[in-house]
Amino acid sequence: MDFFLQLVFAGICVGAAYALIAMGLSLTFWTTKTLNFGQGSLLMLGAVALTALMAAGLHVALAVPMALLGTGALMVLVERVAIRPLLGSEESMGWVVSTLGLGFFVQGFVAKFFGSQAISVPSIVFESTSFVSIAGVQVSAQSLSVLVVSTALMLGMEIFLRVSPWGRAVRAVAHDEAAASLAGIPVRRVVVLSFIASGILAGLAGVLLSQINGTVDPAFGFNLMVFGFVAAVFGGMGSVRGAMVGGIALGVIEKLVGGYLSSAFESAIAFAILMVILVWRPQGLFGQAEINKV
Amino acid sequence: MPEAFKAKLAFIGHPIFGLALVVALGIGAEFASGSTVQIWSFVLVNVLIAQSINVLTGVAGQVSLGHAAFLGIGAYASALLARKFGVPVPIGLVCATLLSAASGWLLSFAAGRVREFYLAMMTLGFGMIFYEMIREWTGVTGGVAGLSGVPSPALKTLKFFGHSVGAVGYFQFVLAVTAIVMWQLRNFLTSRYGRAFFAIHASEVAAGSIGVDRVATKREAYTLSAALIGLAGGIYAHLVGYLGPESFGLHRSVEALVMAVVGGLGTLSGPILGAIVFTYLPEKLQFFADWQFMVYGLLLLLSFVMLPKGIAGLLLPRSRYIKPSARKASALKSQGQGPQVSQDLVRLDTTQPLLKVNNVALSFLGLRALDGVSLEIGQGQIVGLVGPNGSGKSTLVNVISGIYRPSEGSVAFDGRSIVGLRDHVVARLGVLRTFQDPRLVKSFTVRENVLLGVHRLYSQGRFAAAFDVPSARREEASMLRKVSEALEVVGLIALADQPVRDLPYGDQRMTELCRVLVAEPRIVLLDEPAAGLSEGELGRLADVIRILKRRGVAVVLIEHHMDFLDDLVDEVVVLESGKLIYRGCMEDMYRNAAVVSAYLGTEGRQEVANA
Repeated sequence: MDFFLQLVFAGICVGAAYALIAMGLSLTFWTTKTLNFGQGSLLMLGAVALTALMAAGLHVALAVPMALLGTGALMVLVERVAIRPLLGSEESMGWVVSTLGLGFFVQGFVAKFFGSQAISVPSIVFESTSFVSIAGVQVSAQSLSVLVVSTALMLGMEIFLRVSPWGRAVRAVAHDEAAASLAGIPVRRVVVLSFIASGILAGLAGVLLSQINGTVDPAFGFNLMVFGFVAAVFGGMGSVRGAMVGGIALGVIEKLVGGYLSSAFESAIAFAILMVILVWRPQGLFGQAEINKV
Repeated sequence: MPEAFKAKLAFIGHPIFGLALVVALGIGAEFASGSTVQIWSFVLVNVLIAQSINVLTGVAGQVSLGHAAFLGIGAYASALLARKFGVPVPIGLVCATLLSAASGWLLSFAAGRVREFYLAMMTLGFGMIFYEMIREWTGVTGGVAGLSGVPSPALKTLKFFGHSVGAVGYFQFVLAVTAIVMWQLRNFLTSRYGRAFFAIHASEVAAGSIGVDRVATKREAYTLSAALIGLAGGIYAHLVGYLGPESFGLHRSVEALVMAVVGGLGTLSGPILGAIVFTYLPEKLQFFADWQFMVYGLLLLLSFVMLPKGIAGLLLPRSRYIKPSARKASALKSQGQGPQVSQDLVRLDTTQPLLKVNNVALSFLGLRALDGVSLEIGQGQIVGLVGPNGSGKSTLVNVISGIYRPSEGSVAFDGRSIVGLRDHVVARLGVLRTFQDPRLVKSFTVRENVLLGVHRLYSQGRFAAAFDVPSARREEASMLRKVSEALEVVGLIALADQPVRDLPYGDQRMTELCRVLVAEPRIVLLDEPAAGLSEGELGRLADVIRILKRRGVAVVLIEHHMDFLDDLVDEVVVLESGKLIYRGCMEDMYRNAAVVSAYLGTEGRQEVANA
């Protein structure tokens, strides 16, 4: 039973981080109906940048914000180079290919300059060996901090989107870009900011998840990006609550499969869930089927 | 590049040049060094890989980020058949191709349910599942350690039916296979089947409106694409003699994409050029090999913006999607015969209406778009469908043409119910339509677009098309004559070989109209055909509608130009808020109180009454 609870708890913790990744994907989906297929590289870059900055002697309190600033800034480039020129072009899927390309470039870049082997990431709050006991179950402090930070951020984002003028602007642009523009909302700025926020969330998710294992390698983020996407489509693309439920469900399933069957199936099961959801209910469990307007 | 330069390079796309190249390479291999023959073999494998992506993504418009999985299916199938069961390699290659094709066919059921980036993610997931599977299924695939000892020329273990085959012999075999496959692919893509791929790429709804079954067509594209790359996988397995999971991961899928995209999607020569470039670069440039993945990333990032049509678009004239031989044959036979369409007179069966819409209702999210509309149209009748914006005119046309299914009521065509039939089935019955915004294949010429209209009239099968058999050729030529006649009637013959992308709006509308005209319609639904047309074009539009009437075709005309309708229609139907408020002749409509207030409000009605 303890083993079971441990797995469930570990699943909830990584699941919260998947929700965070999903949130990053949803942000740009809201404003532009696109998402960055190279988001995985941003996750990886956040952790690598943190490692590099701390290796250069920077304090954690400075290194984390700088790493996140880096991933946020990279998303400005993504929007500018990989997405904007290709929106509305005949090859409607051009941006899928171009964002994948940019992600591939970043991955190649890191492999070239930091090596393709896993490098160890310095602990920022807890040591990866410290454990806390909750209801008799041994829980890694790292996992716990991932859960706490992710949940707090998700809640914060949800409140921000509902209450603040910027949040309302994001929702207005999501609903109808032309109408939002007519209403005086600076659509371009909202779009760019949504990309920056998406990059920051990705970097943060990368930093948090790299803490659990304590290492990062160039391919670190790729599967995680897909897991984030699974979480995002689980409740319907763009739904915050759906992403939270989806992320945690995926995390728990993944850990249970890994614990009871074989860790070799951990990723495969997530990909299989992805295929099943897309076939069965592409609009998500809570979403409504889109009306095909002609 | 200037067009004159491109024209000089046009010979590259000519089949005779291709044949000469194949013969030269086949003979040259006897004298070339071992490493050269090895690179040439890899080029051929990559040609098939790039062409596979091209068929699916470039032609049929379905993005795939997991194509390495099909490559792997072909490679492991062929390798295992040869190693474990001693199946002769040529038969193993056929099995590998079929197995991969079957996998593609199966994936299409899942993939057909999603589109755009959902599809991209799904194919990505598919590729990753396969990758994980070959890593973990150690008993069969050898797992991470890989599968070695696959019969190959390098190991001197490759045998075809007991005869030992060396590197040169294997290359010549692969060259012949690739050449034949490319020839068939060219025939197929310039047939009705290939053009249907382009049609679903441009607009699935428009494809449905000319009788193209979008589900079946996508399925076909997946199957064909998977077959091509499965064959490539089988050939690859016996070329390298060792298979490991790393050869079939995301990198390989990305590489395939790079070759096709940078070479030039949607053309036949583009992927071949891409395959040559990206086989040679890493071999010849150490710099490129070191930075390979960063370069691939950059190329994917920039190529759609900097080089949208790839190397082929840069160097070669635009591809055409009709075989030149068919063009020639159609030109020869049509000499001395003028257009004959306009003379057709049909005896009308007026005993029953051709189309009967009865009490049709449809709601969107609580909004009642159609509310109990009934309508009858007989052969050779022209009915105007008018009403303010949002009154349900286009919705009615969408219901009749099978795009929407009404929640209540019935639609009968020629005495049989067509409610619930899919749009391409309705179109195949002879119910054809145009759209408010012309939905054409932009890279096609006017002639090629109009040729899409006769899609439903072809009888040739897939194999006849791929082998370009004489009967298929004759049929193609006769369809082209039909198209030329229709272009003459509509007045587009002078523009026939212009890509529609370069044409003004009015000509695009007329092209779409012509696409309907050639399809031998029995009823035509025109959604605001006069919008954006010049005076001259309006005249030609009216002529075409009258020709249709003389042929006994019923015409439903959504229009706002009342003058245009005045001397054309037999009856006018007015909709408002989804309800039919008037049905009768044009003159009475102007005086009908309900119609006037629908258009002008009740105050307007007063003014009309006072005037």
